[in-house]
Amino acid sequence: MGGKTRRTARKRTAKKVTVVCRCEEVTEDEIRRAIREGHQTLEQIKRKLRTGMGHCQGRGCLRIIAQMVEEETGFPASEQKLPTSRPPLKPLPLDLLARYDGE
Amino acid sequence: MASRTADTVIVGGGIIGAATGYYLAKSGHKVVLLERSFPCSGATGRCIGGIRAQFTHDLSIRVMIESIRLFSELNDELGETVHWHQGGYLFLAFDEPRKQAFLEAIKVQRNYGLDVEFISSAECGQIVPGLNREGLLGGAYCPTDGQADPFHVTYGYLAGIKRLGGEVRVDTEVTGINTRDSKVVSVLTSKGDEFFCPNVLNAAGAWSDEICRMAGIEVPIAPDRHESLVTEAVERLFDPMLVDYRSDGCYFVQHIGTGHFVGCYTPVPLVPGRNMDATDEFITEMPRRMVRLVPKLGQVKVLRQWAGSYCMTPDGSPICGRTPVEGLYISSGMSGHGFMFGPALGKLMAELIACGKPSIPLDQFAPDREFGKAEAMK
Repeated sequence: MGGKTRRTARKRTAKKVTVVCRCEEVTEDEIRRAIREGHQTLEQIKRKLRTGMGHCQGRGCLRIIAQMVEEETGFPASEQKLPTSRPPLKPLPLDLLARYDGE
Repeated sequence: MASRTADTVIVGGGIIGAATGYYLAKSGHKVVLLERSFPCSGATGRCIGGIRAQFTHDLSIRVMIESIRLFSELNDELGETVHWHQGGYLFLAFDEPRKQAFLEAIKVQRNYGLDVEFISSAECGQIVPGLNREGLLGGAYCPTDGQADPFHVTYGYLAGIKRLGGEVRVDTEVTGINTRDSKVVSVLTSKGDEFFCPNVLNAAGAWSDEICRMAGIEVPIAPDRHESLVTEAVERLFDPMLVDYRSDGCYFVQHIGTGHFVGCYTPVPLVPGRNMDATDEFITEMPRRMVRLVPKLGQVKVLRQWAGSYCMTPDGSPICGRTPVEGLYISSGMSGHGFMFGPALGKLMAELIACGKPSIPLDQFAPDREFGKAEAMK
């Protein structure tokens, strides 16, 4: 009986959600909706939803999103322009950057 | 080539074009907005989202008080969460002349009803825990200033234009403006369309001189490069935008929605042109200046750096109004304040275009004004 209650509770709270951009917690649904609203390039989706703006800078999600753009619009993922890569490529503490003397 | 008609064609999909287009569409105008690349691809999408009424020019103060009123109602107006937050602006004074300049500015600002005061160094430290107060004489603090998300504000306005029956065209460059007897006839685009329209608004930011030149008009704008960086999101540390006007100062704020710190500085000397490359100098110098001001930020990590254009005018105030070509209007030269001016200048320029008279007269921003005393709080 206890088991059944737990299953019911889980059914009520957990939804089937695929998180595509894990740093900024952006879901597949949100991305597909944005594409259908007209945000059809990786640059535009980034600005609308913050995909690729977190710690990994899009390493984890940009290619998946490109594939989703292809599925929604027909524009091949291989021909899509990736957002401009912004330094530093890996997050660095302000202290460390402040001490950098060009060497 | 397809021919179409519009009441007003807007050139530029940044905050100025989007907001003006929205208020025009709301007043019944058929609006067509043309954006060369994608919305917010210029200065709007590169700014850090600060909003303040602390200026020295009378008209800037009045327009910004109106803009802050509009920002505070924008979630409801647009049906979009714009992350408006009144965290204030704190301008720091590290020497006596700067303090006196702030006290003078505060007198003018208070005349317009702005809730601004000069607070002591100790009070600055209460508002910004961890602030390095060495040499600090105090600061000009206005708690009603704030911040919002430039993307959501602009996208909200653009969605509004479409909802009200207007058109927004991206990847569409304006290639020509046809005039007859010094009057606007039509606008030509890179997609081969021609839009016949009585009114054109040039809201092309750092490129608005090129757009004006298509109609034979020169405007005195000069873009220069400003760089920015953003850190990782951290717990909330303090509310206001901190502005340090020393020649080796900087300004930064923590975003309310996300917890990232974003900031910039004005390089000395300025870097003229539309070059938007990020530099090694900035990514080391900016952290130095931030950590000097708030040492406990030292362990916070930088995620990204980028650059954008400040579209400067000779006096550091916007250029808004009619041009010598009938039907051609300009709203540009925002001198680094386009996002914050956007809602109010959008509404006022829409009133000028639709009714001939804005509810706050914009004469002091007119393209043909005498460019005199420069804005000191720029």
